[in-house]
Parts: sequence; C-alpha cells; structure tokens
Amino acid sequence: MTPKDIDWTRLSAIIDKHKAERWSLIPLLQEIQEAFGFIPPESIEIIADALKIFPVEIQGVITFYAGFSLLPKGKYVLKVCRGTACHVKGGRSILRLIKTQLGLEEGETGKDYQFTLETTACLGACALAPTMMVNRTYFGKLSPPKVTAVLAHHSKDKE
Amino acid sequence: MENITLFINGKSVSCPRGSSLLEAAELNGIKIPRLCYHSELKPLGACRLCLVEDEKTGRILASCVMPAAPNMAILTDTPRINRHRRNIVRLMMAEHPESCIVCNKGNRCQLRQIAAQLGLGQTGLYPMPNYKPLEQANPFIIRDLSKCVLCGKCIRADHELVLAGAIDYNFRGFKSRPLTLHDLPLEQSNCTFCGTCVSICPTGALAPKNTAHAGTPEREAPSVCGFCGVGCSLSMGVIGEQVVEINPSDSKDSVNGATLCVRGHFAHDFLNAGQRLTQPMIRREDKLMQASWDEALDHAATRLMEIKKTFGPQSIGFLGSSKCSNEENYLFQKIARTVFETNNVDNGGYLSGRSGLGPIDSKTGGGWRVSPLANLEKAESIIVIGADPGHTTPVVDYYIRRAAKKGVPLIIVDPRKTDLTPFSTVWLRIQPERDVKLINCLAALLWKRFGHDSIFIDRFTEGFASYSEGLSSFNRERLCVEAGVDMSALERTTDLLKGKRIAFVVGHGILQQRNAVRAMEAIFNLMLMTGSLGSDAGGLYALARENNQAGAWDMGSAPDVLPGRQHLDDSRQRQRFERAWNTRLSPDQGLNTIRMIMEAEKGNLKALYIMGENPLRSLPQHERVLKALENLELLVVQDILETETSTMADVVLPGAGFCEKSGSYTNMEGRIQCVDPVVSPPLGARADWEILNILSERLGLPSRYNTIGKIRAEIVQHVPGYAGLDHGKNTVWISNNSQRRLFNREGQGEPIAFSPVVFAEDSPQNEDYPFTAIVGSKRYHLGSGTRTSHSRRIRNLGKNGHAEISPADGLELNLADGDKVRIHSQCGSIVREIMLEKGLEKGLVYLPAGFNGNDVMKLIPLTPFEDRHSTGLKTCRIRLEKLQSVT
Ligand code: SF4
Ligand code: SF4
Ligand code: SF4
Ligand code: FES
Ligand code: FES
Repeated sequence: MTPKDIDWTRLSAIIDKHKAERWSLIPLLQEIQEAFGFIPPESIEIIADALKIFPVEIQGVITFYAGFSLLPKGKYVLKVCRGTACHVKGGRSILRLIKTQLGLEEGETGKDYQFTLETTACLGACALAPTMMVNRTYFGKLSPPKVTAVLAHHSKDKE
Repeated sequence: MENITLFINGKSVSCPRGSSLLEAAELNGIKIPRLCYHSELKPLGACRLCLVEDEKTGRILASCVMPAAPNMAILTDTPRINRHRRNIVRLMMAEHPESCIVCNKGNRCQLRQIAAQLGLGQTGLYPMPNYKPLEQANPFIIRDLSKCVLCGKCIRADHELVLAGAIDYNFRGFKSRPLTLHDLPLEQSNCTFCGTCVSICPTGALAPKNTAHAGTPEREAPSVCGFCGVGCSLSMGVIGEQVVEINPSDSKDSVNGATLCVRGHFAHDFLNAGQRLTQPMIRREDKLMQASWDEALDHAATRLMEIKKTFGPQSIGFLGSSKCSNEENYLFQKIARTVFETNNVDNGGYLSGRSGLGPIDSKTGGGWRVSPLANLEKAESIIVIGADPGHTTPVVDYYIRRAAKKGVPLIIVDPRKTDLTPFSTVWLRIQPERDVKLINCLAALLWKRFGHDSIFIDRFTEGFASYSEGLSSFNRERLCVEAGVDMSALERTTDLLKGKRIAFVVGHGILQQRNAVRAMEAIFNLMLMTGSLGSDAGGLYALARENNQAGAWDMGSAPDVLPGRQHLDDSRQRQRFERAWNTRLSPDQGLNTIRMIMEAEKGNLKALYIMGENPLRSLPQHERVLKALENLELLVVQDILETETSTMADVVLPGAGFCEKSGSYTNMEGRIQCVDPVVSPPLGARADWEILNILSERLGLPSRYNTIGKIRAEIVQHVPGYAGLDHGKNTVWISNNSQRRLFNREGQGEPIAFSPVVFAEDSPQNEDYPFTAIVGSKRYHLGSGTRTSHSRRIRNLGKNGHAEISPADGLELNLADGDKVRIHSQCGSIVREIMLEKGLEKGLVYLPAGFNGNDVMKLIPLTPFEDRHSTGLKTCRIRLEKLQSVT
C-alpha cells in the first residue's frame, strides 16, 4: 500500500460503520490500520468530524498505542525478536543479516512498501529461538540460509 | 449539599459530600502540595505530589482524586509522604533543563516553589534533561517542552475550558508530550492564542512571549479587560509603571474563570506604544503644538462657548466612548446637556447595533438586561444567530462550546461556517440578512406543532392572538426557500426546540444589519412564544463589542435617552433631571454619531468634542468623514493614542487607558465592575474623568467632581439599576427595576406585547456588483482596531485581513491564495489578498474589519441605521477585479 492510493471510499465506509457506536474510536482505528496497514494522517480530521471529537485527541490515541501507525508500512512487517533467549541463540546476527539483505534499519519501510523492519522483545516462542514474525506467521530456528529463503519467498519478484 | 465529617491531621473537619480529600483539606485551611490539580479542571492524578496517608490503613493516596468519605482519617504531612514527595520533585528536577534562571515564568514557576518548600536544592541525581526544540515563532507563546512536567493542565484547559482542541498528549513514557495535530507549530493548529494554557502551566514549559525580556513582575494588581463587552477579570503583572504580563484573575466568580482570549491576554502591550498621547496640544498655524493643560483646556472651553453663542446649541456635537467608564460617560453627557443644552451626544455603541436593542429595552422595561453568561450552560437550548463569538467575544464562545459538549442542543443560524458550527446540532445556513424570514418560519412551525409555552403567553404577554394569526398567514415553504434553508433542516430544528426554552445569542450579523430592528422583533416574538425570557434556561445575550457599550448607553450617552435609558420624550423623567441638574432639557432627540458627521458635512455642525472614539477609522466612507471633520470650526479630541482623528484636531487632550484610572464598566451580562488604577497614565496624560471635571469647571458647571466617588454617587441617585454601586463592592449587578409583570415578584404590572409579524425586503440585487461581502471580525482586532493595531504582538502576527472567497469562485475567477484583488463597491474600493475558504458559499466574500486602517469601511455607504435606504454595516454588494502581480 503506497500513500498515494488511499481508497477513500473504503475509508469512509469504515468510518460510517463505526460512527454510531458509543466507544467507536479504537475499533475504528483498528479497522483502518488493518485495512490500510497504517492510519493515513489525512484521515484524522475526517474521523474527528464524524465522531465529533478533536482531531488532536485522535492523534493522541494513535501515537499512544504501538499497534497504530501514522506511517504507511510495507506489505510484510517483519518483527525480529530481540528477547533474551533469541539473543543467546544468535538473534543479533540474524537481525544484522536481515538489515543488510533488505537495506533497512529498525523501524524503516522500503521505498517499494514491500517490507517494514521492526524489532520486538520476546515473541513468546523461546523454544524456537531465534525467531521472527512476518505479519502473523512465525518463523523459528532461524539460520542465515533460512532467513534468505524467507525473505526471498516474500520478495516482490516472487509474486 | 450534605456535609460529611472526617479527620485531617487529627482534627475533625467537615466538607460537602463529593469533595476530594484535597478539596476537603483546602476548605479547612490545610494546604496540600499539588501540581496537576486545578479547581476548574477534572482531576487527573498525574503528579502524585498531593499524596496523603490513610491513618488507619497506612495506605498512600493521591488526595486530588480520592473522594473524602465519612470518618476517614488522613495525615497530610508525615515523614513517609514527604520522602515520596521529595523523590518525585527530585526526578522532575533531574529531567528539567538548566535554563531556569532566564525562564519567563520566573518566580511564578510552581515547580521551583514546591522544591523550595520541600527544601530541595541539588537533586543528587544524574541530570537527564529531556531536550525538545524551543518553539517561539509566534508572537504570543513560547513552548519549551523540555520544561514540561506532564501535569496535563494545558491539555485539560484546552479541552475542558476553551474547547479549542489544539493540543493533546502524544506518545507515552519518556517521549510523552502535549503536541498539536501533525506536530505543527501553534499558529498552524487550532490554537486561538487564548493563552489559557500559558497561565495555567505550572512551569516555564508554556510562557508568554514578551516583546522585551521584562523579568518577573514586581507586583500584581486586579483589573478588568478593556477590550470586549465580556469584561474579563484580570491580574496584571507590573514592573515600575509598566504592565508587562496579564493572567486571568483567580477570583472565583469572575465571568471568565481561568480563561482569557488573545486580546485580553496579549494585546495590552498597546498601552506602551510609542503613539501614546502624553502632551496636550493646540493647533497653531495649522500645526499641532504642545501646550500646557491650562492653555489647552482654556482654549477648548472658550472656543466651545463662543461657538454655542454664535451658532446655537445644536451646532455642537459630543461623541463619547463605549470604552470609557460609566462615570466618564455620565459626566460627558451631563456637560453636553446642561452646559451646552444639546442632546447631540452619542458613543461608538451606535455603530454596534444599539438601534436593534432599543425596542426590546422599551418592551421589557430593561428587564432583559441581566443575563449571566454562566446560565448558558444551564440553557435548555441555544440559538446563535448572526454571531461568531469565537472572534468577537471569545469567552462567550467558550460558554457555548461547554454547553454543547454537555448536550445542550445548539442551533447556528449563519451564512458562514463559524468557529461554532463544528459544535452545532443543526446549522441553518441562511442567505445573508434573511433572518426575519427564517425566524418567522421557525416560529410558525413551532406554533403549528404546539411548541409554544401557552402558560407563559397567557400570564406575561399580550397580543398573541394577532401574532399567531400573522404566523399562519404566509407560505412557510416559500419563505424558507427564500431564506436559503431546507425545510427539512427547519423541521429538525423545530423538533429539537419543541417544549424547550431558548437562549438566544445575538451577534452583529443581526445588530448591524439593515433589518436589525425587524430581526430583533422577530427574535423577541419567538422568545416570548417559547417562554424564554426571565428564566435561567433561556434568555437574550446580545454580544457587546466594547467593554462599556452597555454602560455608556445606561449613562445616557445617546441622543434619545437620559441616564437610566429614560426616554427624552417621557416628560416626567425629563422634569426629574431638569430639577436635579437645574437646567432645561429639550424633548427633541439629538444627532447620533452618523448624523453628526452628516451635519458637519453640510456645515450645520460647527464643533465636535470627541472622547475616545476614532470616527475616521470606525465610520463608513472615510473620505466623507474627513471632509466633514475639515468643515468643523473646532474639533477637540480626547484620546490615549495618536489616531487618524486626533491628528486633525484643533485641541488634543491626552487621556488614560482602562487600567490607568478608576472607573466602573458594565458588561454585556449586566455586571458592573469597578476598577482602581493599576499603573499611572504616562507622564503628561490624565484620567478622562479628571479632564472632564476640570473642563466643566471652566465651562461653569456648578458641581465639582474631585473624586470618582462623587460622580458615582450621582449615578447611584439618578440611574435606578445602579443603586448597588453604592455599597463599596467591586462587582455588582444591574438591579432589575422593570415594571413588567414577568419581572415583578408580586406578579403585578403590565404584560409584554408581541410585535406584529412583518417581513423585511431583501436587499436589491445588482448585476454590476455580483458578490455579497460580509464584513466581520477576526479575534486579533477589536472593532475598528485602533488599539489592537498598536499592539506589537498583534502586528508581529503578520495577519493582514485577507478577503475570503469560496473555492468555487476562486476557480471561476482564476484566483488562488495570495492573489491580489481590487474590491469595488458602489462607494469605494480597497485592495486585498485572496484566501480560499471552504466554509464559504459561492457568491459570498468575507472581509475582516480592523485591518489596514479599517479600510473595509470605505466600501459601505455612510447612512444612519434609521434611514430607509441604510444598508447597515454588515454587508455590501461588491465586485472583484484581479490585479496583476508585479514581480
Ligand atoms: S506544558 Fe505545562 S501545563 Fe502542559 S503538561 Fe507540561 S507542565 Fe503541564
Ligand atoms: S493558547 Fe488556548 S487555544 Fe492555544 S493551546 Fe493554549 S488553551 Fe489551547
Ligand atoms: S477581549 Fe473580551 S473575551 Fe477577551 S479577555 Fe478581554 S473581555 Fe475577555
Ligand atoms: S526471546 Fe525470542 S521468542 Fe522469546
Ligand atoms: S495534584 Fe494530585 S496527583 Fe497531582
């Protein structure tokens, strides 16, 4: 999803769906985040108008929760584990490898919006360390060849 | 409310049920340290400084969020609590930068105060200041968020008190900060620069930007804002004889509470402008030359008397000021009426719509006058019509926003998107000046659907039968279309209003329009029909543009009324004043502001004495006003600033600003506030009432007024509603002396009459001038902007009064933001830059007044309101001519 092609019809459909609910802000934002991969900053004022709250309050909520993002993310969001177990099992070099292969630093998104690289503390699958997630799929017992294979599998050329 | 008893520090104390522990302690004189608590804000419990210990359980509680319960026992000052408090403050200080010493908050910083109280010098912690870039591009507020202690007061003030929605918490943990939308600078956010957050911020994170680094004020003194008719209570910080800072006063029952607006907070620097008049002057061989007070006053007195003798009393006019005090206006009109035997006395209030309110005043015997703004939050419904109080009278706007947030139905009637439309339940987007039609339609629909208050109508009114007949006599659908409003929107409005009393907030869109009188009558009929008068749940709130507009009128500074708004043609009242003043009073109305100028133009008016007005800026068609003033044999100007008008005067008398003299002022609610001088006038200038007193001595007026109290005593004697002024209190309310049954405790007296249903003609179309310009205000200038344009901060904001047009018209005329146009009307032309404004409909142009010498008035013809051909001061027909930019 690139910032240029925001589907405004879809966005207003989501807003309309939640407008009348009582505590609608969070579910609404979740659905937008889900649908677009991020919350387009331009949508804040539209949401505010619909829910009759201050735009700046919505921004406050978005920036408070790690689950919301104002920046568009890649099609695949990598969450590389930096927890203790993974660290012991060489998680650091796995991360370094991913960084060089994708040309991204932590928190960055590639220009083609294919990948976003994030790190996280303990994915809760320590037995499989070192681990990472691609969107909602776990990958464990990572080794350099396995990493290369996973990245290749999700790359643009592969599609 | 029910009281409960508990123990604080071993002492039995009581407090109302529902108080927090902190409030309970406070009520009983026990002070608990706090940073994030504020009595007007919802408690947040963020800073943890207000900790107390539960004696029974040993639990530590944040007292600002903990409700007091019966028989609770708490300790506010134990070693354990103090250890916690000290640790919290140490952490805050460790995060604080070291720019404390040059901080603009200076000794008002509460963090410093608390640290001192707790005996903290060095924190002993590794400093880890949280540096943020300093924001200070705007001329009002410096934001240095590295000093922020995250108390959330600014955010709560912004959301709960002024409801601007400019800032909110963003991020969390160490990164957490109050930010604007998209983290833009304040001037690109919703911020109105009301400064409420600045005054409430306990640290230097938010501080006023001073035009020169002034340091901490040496003393603070109470005053009342001298700009708009709200009359906010202020606390002025002073160094030497200079006002350097303004905050809302902490008085509990002020009209503004903890809020102010950008003018009251920041525009007072006009007092220190280089253009202040400090020397009397006399024109000699066509040049204004310095003179002594004696010379100037002698000259003025002699010439005035000569002119009276040669040309008669009607050849002299007195233009007083809606910015001067009650005492000054009283004395001013007394001089005019007794020494000069003329009713040619008026003030700037005429231009802000006195004519529309006059009939309501007469109908109710003045009974509508007392309408506390606080009642707006208790209203059953609110209609805001022709008003954008966010710009004219911002504190009124805050009240309405708070009411709307509480769920009070809010109907906006306005052709433009205003600051309030986002808060409205219904916005009736009317065509300009079709209000009479719309209101009558609304009344007819309410009547048809039994939305009227028949008990009220029966008991307190008369003439409903013929009024209601009038309501059934027209085609609602057609009229509604002509007014530009959807019938369905009107039906929705009717459903909302049915059975409710209505608070009407009426602005200059009504009061200054050509149909002002008819529109006010229609509104008033609707008020009577819905029982909205004389109740806290409804009421009439007429916005007053200037601080003493209401008072100047009360004092008889008007050509048709004596003090107490007693009509000149009421012979009993006239005789009463003839006896009191030992004079003869003519029953004939004098000239109003515009007629004075027109008579000068014709050569009939020979002398004009102006106190605190600037007609060359405030009146239409400046070139005609200029000619008229040139025509005069004598022009005396008493003012505080060198103005367009004062430079033409034959005698100039330097007066004093609102906080440089004693006086009382009456606000739009009917609240009379007395102020004492905070600083002295600049050397050489004098309080205006003193000038009038000395002058009247030279003119042979027998009474002497060596103190303000003497004038006040006379007011108390002659102006019935002002009797309370006698009691030495600083704030009193006008007392309601109306003889109407509605306002009479015993239910005696006359009913109030409905006016017949009448319609007003729409203004004629004119092919050559296809656009309708609406002239309005921006919050940075008050009225014609004489004083605000001398505020350096306001000038530094760099706003220049863009002409706003709809994007559709922009497209059609090939005009983009920043393009220059010449705007022509039938009587003049001005040049403006264009701004595209989504909130405007095609065909409308919005022109803010006050900018560029208030030249928008060149577009409007100089006609008195009462003239059949008057266009009012609110709209005019124009055309736009694109100017090629010179690059
Ligand atoms: S800026 Fe001031 S008022 Fe706002 S949260 Fe920070 S310290 Fe509190
Ligand atoms: S100055 Fe007023 S509007 Fe601006 S952020 Fe502060 S409280 Fe809000
Ligand atoms: S200009 Fe009006 S609203 Fe603003 S501070 Fe002064 S009195 Fe209050
Ligand atoms: S540490 Fe990596 S999954 Fe637990
Ligand atoms: S004053 Fe109670 S937590 Fe701040």
